Amino acid sequence: MGSTNSTLLKIPNVEELMQETGFSSVHIIRLYDRFKALDKEGRGHLCPHDFGAIKELAMNPIGDRIIGAFFSPGQETVDFNTFVKILAHFRPVDKDRPRDPNSPEPINSRSNKLKFAFQLYDQDKDGKISRDELLKVLRDMLGMQVTEEQLESIADRTIQEADLDRDDAISFEEFRKVSAKILHLKKAPVVMSAEYDC
Amino acid sequence: MRMRMKMLLLLFCCGVVFCDQNHSDPRVQRVFPVISINYDYVQMPFEVSLWILLASLMKLGFHLIPRLSGIVPESCLLIVVGLLVGGLIRVLGEKPPVLDSQLFFLCLLPPIILDAGYFLPIQPFSENAGTILMFAVVGTLWNAFFMGVVLYGVCRLDGGGLASVDLLSCLLFGSIVSAVDPVAVLAVFEEIHINELLHILVFGESLLNDAVTVRTLACCRSTSCFLSDHHSHQSIPSAIRVQLTSHHQSHTAKVLYHLFEEFAHVGEVSAVDVFLGVVCFFVVSLGGIMVGGVYGVLAAFTSRFTSHTRVIEPLFVFLYSYMAYLSAEVFHLSGIMALIACGVVMRPYVEANISHKSYTTIKYFLKMWSSVSETLIFIFLGVSTVAGPHAWNWTFVTITIVLCLLSRVLGVIGLTYIINKYRMVKLSGKDQFIVAYGGLRGAIAFSLAFLLSGDDFAMKDMFLTAIITVIFFTVFVQGMTIRPLVDLLAVKKKKQSKTSINEEIHTQFLELLLTGIEDVCGHYGHHHWRDKLNRFNKRYIKRCLIAGERSQEPQLISFYNKMELEQAMMLLESNSSASLIAASTVPQQRSRRTLNISKEREEEIRKILRANLQKTQQRLRSYSRHTLMPDAEEDDWSETRLRKQRVEMERRMSHFLTVPANRSESPAMRRGRFESDSQVHTVRPRVLVSVPVPLPDDPEEADGSTQSRNGGAQKPDGLQDSRGRKQSVKFALDVEEQKLPRCLSDPGPNNLLEEEELFYQKD
Repeated sequence: MGSTNSTLLKIPNVEELMQETGFSSVHIIRLYDRFKALDKEGRGHLCPHDFGAIKELAMNPIGDRIIGAFFSPGQETVDFNTFVKILAHFRPVDKDRPRDPNSPEPINSRSNKLKFAFQLYDQDKDGKISRDELLKVLRDMLGMQVTEEQLESIADRTIQEADLDRDDAISFEEFRKVSAKILHLKKAPVVMSAEYDC
Repeated sequence: MRMRMKMLLLLFCCGVVFCDQNHSDPRVQRVFPVISINYDYVQMPFEVSLWILLASLMKLGFHLIPRLSGIVPESCLLIVVGLLVGGLIRVLGEKPPVLDSQLFFLCLLPPIILDAGYFLPIQPFSENAGTILMFAVVGTLWNAFFMGVVLYGVCRLDGGGLASVDLLSCLLFGSIVSAVDPVAVLAVFEEIHINELLHILVFGESLLNDAVTVRTLACCRSTSCFLSDHHSHQSIPSAIRVQLTSHHQSHTAKVLYHLFEEFAHVGEVSAVDVFLGVVCFFVVSLGGIMVGGVYGVLAAFTSRFTSHTRVIEPLFVFLYSYMAYLSAEVFHLSGIMALIACGVVMRPYVEANISHKSYTTIKYFLKMWSSVSETLIFIFLGVSTVAGPHAWNWTFVTITIVLCLLSRVLGVIGLTYIINKYRMVKLSGKDQFIVAYGGLRGAIAFSLAFLLSGDDFAMKDMFLTAIITVIFFTVFVQGMTIRPLVDLLAVKKKKQSKTSINEEIHTQFLELLLTGIEDVCGHYGHHHWRDKLNRFNKRYIKRCLIAGERSQEPQLISFYNKMELEQAMMLLESNSSASLIAASTVPQQRSRRTLNISKEREEEIRKILRANLQKTQQRLRSYSRHTLMPDAEEDDWSETRLRKQRVEMERRMSHFLTVPANRSESPAMRRGRFESDSQVHTVRPRVLVSVPVPLPDDPEEADGSTQSRNGGAQKPDGLQDSRGRKQSVKFALDVEEQKLPRCLSDPGPNNLLEEEELFYQKD
């Protein structure tokens, strides 16, 4: 890529971005290219409509939630920096980064990954996954193939398993506990390590 | 044979009167032979059955001796038994039978491989496929060449009796000894409950390297035959002879073996041959996989139509798999790969189609056959050791053993260094050690060595002895010490707990999330392709291969149903009525909510219950061979009673919070559990469950008490009296269904469930 430096210069606050997210310059450039490709009208920011154009995402049962996660509440657009920061959640955990106790936890730490996932469940942002929110998620994931009864039993069961303080909802701590064994969080996609297609 | 001696004794005792009289006085009229002996008529099946009976009795015996089975792995004990039996036969003057290669490869090996392939945990296997292939292909090649070359050097240096061993023979020997044996690995690793990653690495390697080492050989053999025709006249007869023996072998672990054997004939190695050898390897393994895949699809398709003939469903599974194996062998393709591919491909579809009973049957039969095969293999190994001609050479044998260990360690370290660059979850030093140490050799190496034709390899006996020594060394020394080493190094053990529904949901959710993020980035990674595969699977394949409405059932629901089923069973087994009392104090609103169950739910519960509960009378009823026990007898019960029980079950299932699973086994002592099983069985084969039926007017106060006759009851009567329960329905639950008899190759119901769930996660 011959235009490395020039591309980097186009992005505002590149240094700060790289520092915060831990992406290397190569990754930033690739993400920038992807951002540009999604932003078909060249406005410099993305709106939900642009995300919706991604075919596979439209087929994803939780596609809307993912798109929603990019936009902070009230905002209609997402600029490149926010785009990168959100994607930074999914970098694999750096083992060799020196642990500086004073600096804030890196974006891609396991805890932050979990928090991101938690926010996808918790749409009303009250810090808990209520039974209704869980039902909504299950309905999205399982679609029309399941009866309401089954969904409700599953939701009940799920909450009972995870809910330790008996408030009939799953808080972040409880969520973290039950997700302790899930290996996916270790193996987040090595985004942008290989070539990708736009 | 021992039996022959007994038969002779019998003959002597019973028939002596008749025979002697007949011989001594021919003029006496021949007495009507009331008792006569005709052993030849039944000889073959008689001996086969006797051997299998002996093997099973031995297995039984080991489990009755508690301390022994903890220290020594079963494989060692079986070899010792084989040695004893072989010695006994020798003492009696008979010739001990040797492990016939046709028997081994066509009858003894397939069940073990099918069992392994059918229950192969797909997710860890596919995630580590690259690593496994590296170890299997590159690792085995390295082992073979390293050993062969160094051995040759040693033979040159040593002089004396070893001087006649040429390079090709050494390479051949190296290739035989280098292959890690799946049977031995299974036998030992099953007992040490190591974590899944290591288990799949070593086991996967043993399966795949089999295909590598043996199969290409058959190919090369035929090509070398073809080439050798042009090279010299003399080699033709020997080449043909080799061709003939290869048909007997017809098995996978011999690619390199064949290669070198062939070259040993031809006497020269050309570049074309080497290239062809490489091509052959690909042809062989991929061809095998394709054959297996085709048969797997056929089996899945057939199972779609078996709803009216449930009884023969398991038969289709076994037959198609075996046919896959044999068909692959016909074309000298890799039979093992075919078998594994067949099992892997057909499993999800077949399991969706067949009945619960058939599923249990398949599981049981596979475990049984593979267990028997394994036992027989080890016993025969012992017997053959006594039988075979031996030529002991200290230098050769010790060098072989040392080299085996050395090459394995070096190979693993070197490969891991390369592999770790590409792995997300790196292999630590401990992992490497276990992988290196777990490289056991076994019966396949032996049977390959046995098939070496004596004319081409003058040192055949020496090779045989060396191989047997290596096998003994790895199985005894490494097999016995690996367990304490695992404990010593504190290697991570297999996680014992089952997946909770939370984990299942969140895992699926995260997978969707990661797929979505990958799509946003435009990155076609692992998740993307897996998602595509699942979608394709759902849309096209499942429609064809799965009967009826099951094809639409999402995986989460199957998982949930399975969980409920399991818990219903656990619930009925468990002795903990106390926790049920505690559970019943859960807020009333929850139970009120669950009371509104629809007809469908009831139907579901009814199906679940029906699958597990049996009336006493069922055992005494006669049944026809063509249909299973009709399920209609459940309708004999009063409908209301059943519905109330179901309500009860439903509630109890949702209340079933933290009752710990009643597991009496410690992780390392699976066989200990087998003992406790036998104790349960000797006392009473059933668990009586008394379900107090909730009266319609006070649904909230229902609670259950379980009573088990083996002494774990916790005052059920007291409970009943205090609550004033008059009505209670006792029904017998057939506990035997849950307490699956464990055997060497049985990972246990927990792990089976885990594997199935892990597989289901692909959806």
